[in-house]
Amino acid sequence: MPEQIPWLTVLTFSPLVGILVLLFLPKANSRALRTAAILTTLVPLVVSLWLFAQYDPSAQAGGIFVEQTPWITAALNSEALNGVASYVYEFQYYLAADGLSLPLIVLAALVATMAAFASVHINKRWKAFYIWFLLLETGMLGVFMARDLVLFFLFFELTLISLFFLIGIWGLFNREKAANTFLIYNGLGSAIMLIAFVLLIVTAGFQSVPDGEAMRLVYSGNYETIMANLADPAAYVNIPDAQANGSNPFFMSEGMRWLVFILIFVAFAIKLPVLPFHTWMLRVHAEAPPSVVMIHSGVLLKMGAYGLLRFGVFLFPQQADDAAYVIALLGVANILYGAITAFVQNEFKLVLAYSSISHMGIVLLGIASLNQIGLQGAVFQLVSHGLISALLFLIVGSLYERTGTTDLRELGGLARALPFMSGVLLTAGMASLGLPGLSGFVGEFLAFLGLFDSMKGVTAIAAVGVILTAVYVLRSVLKITFGPMSERYAALNDARLIEAVPMIALLAFILLLGVYPSILTDSMQHGFDRLFEQLNSRVGG
Amino acid sequence: MEPVTVYSQYAWLIPVFPLVSFIVLTAFGRGMRSAGMLIGMLGSLAALVLSVLVLLERMTNGDSPEYNYSFDWITIGDFQLNAGYDVTNLSALMLFVVSVVAFLVNLYSAGYLKEDERITVFFGYVALFTFSMLGLVLSDNLLTLYMFWELVGVCSFLLVGFWYTKPEARAAAKKAFIVTRVGDVGLLIAVLLLFWYMPEHDLSFAAIENVFGQTGTIAQGITTLIAILIFVGAAGKSGQFPLHVWLPDAMEGPTPISALIHAATMVAAGVFLVARTYSIFEASQAAMDTVAYVGAFTALFAATIGLVQNDIKRILAYSTVSQLGYMMLALGVGSLSGGIFHLFTHAFFKALLFLGAGSVIHAVHTQNIHEMGGLGRQMKITAWTFGIGALALTGIPPFSGFWSKDAILAVALDKNPFLFAVGILTAFFTALYMARLYFLVFAGKSGAAGKAHESPAVMTIPLVVLAAFAALSGFVELPWAGMGRLGAWLTGEEAAHSGSGLVLVVSTAIGLLGIYLGWLIYVKGAIPRDFISSRAPWLVRLLERKYYIDELYHAVFTVGLRASGRALDAFDTYIVGGAVRLISGAAVWAGRAGTRMQNGQVQTYGLWTVIGLLALILAIAGRRFW
Amino acid sequence: MLPSYLTMAAILFCIGLYGALTKRNAVIVLISVELMLNAVNLNLVAFSKYGVVPSLTGQIFSLFTISVAAAEVAVGIAILIALFRARGTINVDEYDEMRR
Repeated sequence: MPEQIPWLTVLTFSPLVGILVLLFLPKANSRALRTAAILTTLVPLVVSLWLFAQYDPSAQAGGIFVEQTPWITAALNSEALNGVASYVYEFQYYLAADGLSLPLIVLAALVATMAAFASVHINKRWKAFYIWFLLLETGMLGVFMARDLVLFFLFFELTLISLFFLIGIWGLFNREKAANTFLIYNGLGSAIMLIAFVLLIVTAGFQSVPDGEAMRLVYSGNYETIMANLADPAAYVNIPDAQANGSNPFFMSEGMRWLVFILIFVAFAIKLPVLPFHTWMLRVHAEAPPSVVMIHSGVLLKMGAYGLLRFGVFLFPQQADDAAYVIALLGVANILYGAITAFVQNEFKLVLAYSSISHMGIVLLGIASLNQIGLQGAVFQLVSHGLISALLFLIVGSLYERTGTTDLRELGGLARALPFMSGVLLTAGMASLGLPGLSGFVGEFLAFLGLFDSMKGVTAIAAVGVILTAVYVLRSVLKITFGPMSERYAALNDARLIEAVPMIALLAFILLLGVYPSILTDSMQHGFDRLFEQLNSRVGG
Repeated sequence: MEPVTVYSQYAWLIPVFPLVSFIVLTAFGRGMRSAGMLIGMLGSLAALVLSVLVLLERMTNGDSPEYNYSFDWITIGDFQLNAGYDVTNLSALMLFVVSVVAFLVNLYSAGYLKEDERITVFFGYVALFTFSMLGLVLSDNLLTLYMFWELVGVCSFLLVGFWYTKPEARAAAKKAFIVTRVGDVGLLIAVLLLFWYMPEHDLSFAAIENVFGQTGTIAQGITTLIAILIFVGAAGKSGQFPLHVWLPDAMEGPTPISALIHAATMVAAGVFLVARTYSIFEASQAAMDTVAYVGAFTALFAATIGLVQNDIKRILAYSTVSQLGYMMLALGVGSLSGGIFHLFTHAFFKALLFLGAGSVIHAVHTQNIHEMGGLGRQMKITAWTFGIGALALTGIPPFSGFWSKDAILAVALDKNPFLFAVGILTAFFTALYMARLYFLVFAGKSGAAGKAHESPAVMTIPLVVLAAFAALSGFVELPWAGMGRLGAWLTGEEAAHSGSGLVLVVSTAIGLLGIYLGWLIYVKGAIPRDFISSRAPWLVRLLERKYYIDELYHAVFTVGLRASGRALDAFDTYIVGGAVRLISGAAVWAGRAGTRMQNGQVQTYGLWTVIGLLALILAIAGRRFW
Repeated sequence: MLPSYLTMAAILFCIGLYGALTKRNAVIVLISVELMLNAVNLNLVAFSKYGVVPSLTGQIFSLFTISVAAAEVAVGIAILIALFRARGTINVDEYDEMRR
């Protein structure tokens, strides 16, 4: 492949090209629109899989794909410091994919394709739907790649807005309320995130670049700059005052770090969601169209965990280390609370929503471990849960289309009428409860294993969640598939080809990751190296 | 490579055969019937052949080095999790047991489930189970074992719930999965503990044996904790008290499954696990005692329940629980070979009993033993083979169960006379409930179920084969010096046999006494059947209700979980949701107040202007006094 | 002497303000505005006589105010009549055009 093609840009913006194509298609022709959308989503999928295959974690510097160019430059005051220096804001178009991003990019592209298949159940305004859908895909791919705070923020907002319309127009009965709740809650999160980002840009984002005779004093959103500056005051380049009096006005104080860390934690905790910020998610799960929930539960929640890792833990390892116990306890609370509450829900979609809360708790445990095993477990769990919940909502969509309800009290015995779908549902449930051989087990096990090193008691309590997960998953899945079947379901048809294809594809990935997890863990081998350098230097010093 | 490991090298193929059957059956099985059965049988036959070859190889070269192959499953930084297989004498023996029973059950099912419309699905599940069980046996480390451990659990779940439209089957399947999962969490935590405490984070059984074989490497407390957690896992799978509740309910599954999974193989996995990690237990006396006492208690406890059950399969199920308790007792008093020996013989005679029961159920379409009777005349083969199985279970010489039970009791007498007494008492109850079962079903007048006829050959052949095993398999280890071949082969040293005639005589006498008593009650009628129930109805009631354990669990766990779920759900809706509504409500209220200020009337604006002016004046003037 | 004038003016102003803010009838509102203006006039005259630097400026100013107030009343009444013709009411509660 030629090196000069900016693959990351192609990956991110190919859905936008698809939108252009869609604009020229007749708006009543749902089949053509769907086909175009599916074909469009295949482009990022193929590119991301290719990048994933190309990625060589052992070659640390060369192994990471980077695209970087100045983007927005705003001069503040050119006359500052007697004309020898000028203050500028500089934000870059800076995309990068490393061992942490790539699995999530592949996940996003894959789930998007599968959701495009599942959108067969959408029954109005197809054109607008697929346009928002593809915008959403661009947004989420961008989120996982952006390495400039402003760029990240823009992509993050793009997902919010497109999801708002996807829920608000194509959702179920209470769609508008759900969309509003979603937007307000996440808008709040974004606002908090923006405050944290601005604080970062004006402190740790500072650098001075020689520009001929004069100095350019740059406030940048460059992630690498911020990370280096946060880690080490000496990393600031050419601070004029610093040399003079030995102090660095841009180096963040301890209190400031805590403030920004907590802001970032809360911002992404809303997205993840962490108790008690989860109520918006329940509504989205219950009201949004299933294909959108596939993306939401499969990918968008993962943005919360990704952001937490990328901007919380990586930038502030010391704070994360000090807060590890709190994070772990929140994780346990998520696991148990989600599992116990899921047990009494009568609406299958709510069972799955609470199950997501429970599974995200495992991610928090992995993050709290702050060691190689646990963090890889957390990322593995992200990917695995993304696939599993996408699969589960795919089935929910197909079920709802047939039975007109997802209320557990009304369903039963569907294994007779829908043997294929029931089998897939049962397998997905098994994956969700962490059956070895399927992907859910690996993430769960690695997260527990990692955390067990530092917090044995907490992990042991969390392991009880494994039982509870089995309880609620079996209760709901068996209620749907097993038992006597109501007569009115006797005439239902099993999955059509367009429904079966994504089911089988997702199952295949779940199985592949469960049997051969190295395919994913190997790519993350050096994803956390810098974090450990900092943590180890702390322990050493 | 040494020539003696020819077949052991290829031992990994053994589980692959049934796996291939499973994949083929799942992918293309729709619409197949006899072809599907053939695929399932071929897979298990291939596994059987290779298992026999491996076993023969290990038998001829008993002390040759074990064959081990492992590879990195996950590598994370400096940590590695391996997967691999390990051919030891123990695993070779288990391979043989599993594949023999699996093959015979496959054969038998072809007759038993001939009418069932989902027969290929059944064979697929059985193949998947066979794969998982063989994989479990072959695993060379605890993590791989744990994975297969869960897989056999899920296969058991699927097969218990095979007749999924029945609500009882659904409930039983769910119960089986969840209760064993409780045990699995114990095992999971044990794996986590071992990972962080083992040198090099090595989870392989060989390393475990090395580390725990020498004292002092790992602290005593941790050793005990690990051992007990492993035992919790084993108790879950092997139906030991207090996690035994799922096993009797699991009888909702098709009878061949009860024979394969819930009698011969999977439930013995717990015993196998303890045997495989025996060095950990040996390093901790407390853990050994726990195993011994739990095992002994379970043996007696389940046997008493078995006395009053009326469902033929449930009696056998409680008998299984009881016999598994024996095996645990053997392991707990330090007799590895005794436990495995009993596992070996039990696999055959209990599978035989279940398949025989299946043959009876197939003929009379009821499971209630009071509705049967006089079947011995109509079903000769079944009656004879079942009788052999019953005698083996009861421990009457020269059948296999006698020798293995004797091996256990002899060691128990040596180590702990109390446990020996419990064992003997259990043996008496065993004889009694088996006599009751046998005489009620096969002797006497025809019952309510009416006429029956013998099952087809495809079902009786497995019975005969298993009967041969049940009769003869005990001779691999005899309690006299120089005759303990199995123990010597398994552990490298022959178990020290007291060889005392005492145990032999006592256990035989107790067995015969139980049978005689049963004969008196159920055939001769010399003792009225309601002898106990008329005098102590509460006792019978207690036993019939299985000591109210199920009710207790329901009250504590199910109701408790549901109540806490409701409470949390309410908390979620009213407290968390309420807080959210409160905040949004406050925002809405502020907005409303704002609109009310701007009602378009000049006078209101004027009023607010005045108020604002006053506020400004107050603020400015107030600053002076601040 | 000054405080009594100022108190008188303040009372007058408050009565005017009260009337302007509460009366429904637009004519009365206009008259109330006149009261407030007159309170201001009173202040101007009082300060011009008893203030720190007594001068005629205040009195001249009050003449200005009176004439401007007269003009204002004329224009106000004219607008009011126009409004009355358009809406058929002089009730200020119904004059909520600003909301639309």
